[in-house]
Amino acid sequence: MEEEPRHLAELYRMAVLGRLTAKIVHEITTPAGSIRSNNEVLARSLDALGKLLSDATVKKCAPPAKALDILETLKNLAGVDKIACDRISAVVRGLKTYARVEEGELRKTNLNDLLRDTLKLAGVEFRNRVTLVEDFGEMPAVECYPQSLSQVFLNLLVNAGQAIEGEGQVTVRTRAENGWARISISDTGTGIAPEHRDRIFTPGFTTKPAGEGTGLGLVITREIVVDHHHGTITFESEPGRGTTFHARIPITHPRNRS
Amino acid sequence: MASNPPPAVVIVDDEEMVITSVRAFLRLETEYAIHGFTLPGEAVKFLETNPVDVVVSDYLMPKMNGLELLAKSKQFQPEAARVLLTGHADKQSAIRAINDVGLYQYLEKPWDNQQLLLVIQSAIERTTLLRSLREKISALDTAHSNLKDIQAKLLRAFL
Ligand SMILES: Nc1ncnc2c1ncn2[C@@H]1O[C@H](COP(=O)(O)OP(=O)(O)OP(=O)(O)O)[C@@H](O)[C@H]1O
Ligand SMILES: [Mg+2]
Repeated sequence: MEEEPRHLAELYRMAVLGRLTAKIVHEITTPAGSIRSNNEVLARSLDALGKLLSDATVKKCAPPAKALDILETLKNLAGVDKIACDRISAVVRGLKTYARVEEGELRKTNLNDLLRDTLKLAGVEFRNRVTLVEDFGEMPAVECYPQSLSQVFLNLLVNAGQAIEGEGQVTVRTRAENGWARISISDTGTGIAPEHRDRIFTPGFTTKPAGEGTGLGLVITREIVVDHHHGTITFESEPGRGTTFHARIPITHPRNRS
Repeated sequence: MASNPPPAVVIVDDEEMVITSVRAFLRLETEYAIHGFTLPGEAVKFLETNPVDVVVSDYLMPKMNGLELLAKSKQFQPEAARVLLTGHADKQSAIRAINDVGLYQYLEKPWDNQQLLLVIQSAIERTTLLRSLREKISALDTAHSNLKDIQAKLLRAFL
């Protein structure tokens, strides 16, 4: 029975990943398609360029304008390929961070980096309609279970994005305050109805359509923050204006305090 | 023929990199005039006043989706062929709405350059054909009403 909560968290973690898969594929497909196309153009352009240059050499005249034009295109494509590779790497890094099985060992972690990786993953869900704002403060390394915290961040971010109908903004703030790391995730979404405030941490409570919400995200989030990290999770919400969730994690895990 | 302006192709995608790649490919293979837009709103503005042969649009874009954009294109330039170039995640929703805008072709990302070229080439042929057909019809119309005028004059002269 001891094992059960962790087991549930693990199942839920994989379910969240499963739901994101189509979007992740999309996020990788675009830059990959660009790179493939560019590679074809590159090969042909080099052929054309070679021919132009050797013709010019034979005729003992300057390289034609067309050659310079091709060079310009090649430079552009190299730039695009770099951006495309960076985009793919960022998603893959987010995936690696998130999909890695929790080793169950405390590790000193830079939470800003962890958040950045998780944001890349969450971003695929609503890149087109939600603006993500990072407001990261200076943070000491925090002793934590990084994979579990990555799951906490993703749950909160996905909830924030889902609360926004149409366009809006999600802001992620980090601050170090007297031995605690605070991570706040704000959205400009629908807010939480007063009659739901007491219920959102109840297993199975969801306002999302059947098949979309399990009502487990916040349960698992609280368990990881409160039970595993001895932290706190609180929220403020104003219907029609938005919600902010605050997770506070002690910088030194109590287990290691002298 | 040589004095004709080159066929005009509009490409709309919120991803700059897609436009850059497609543009580079088409410039290498064709003489088309290529107009790329990352903001659908700007593409619409362009389409209001500039005649084009083909509009290729992404589906999922902020503010206006590809089908809304192509519907606008249809309104301003009914003859310009409409092509949807879309990622996998939005396939279902795209297919559902295809009939509404009278899509010429539906292409999936990651696209194949040769296939894209074939589609654009045949779309341009079709647009050219439609245009010349319309010109002929209106020429016939004019001829027909001229004939009626003459007929009316003749009748008046004899009656
Ligand atoms: N940022 C938020 N804005 C508004 N409501 C929220 C927010 N976060 C959570 N809620 C409310 O709390 C409920 C429970 O959230 P929880 O993450 O536990 O489950 P869920 O999101 O409904 O389902 P799942 O996490 O499986 O997708 C949500 O259905 C929603 O009503
Ligand atoms: Mg949730």
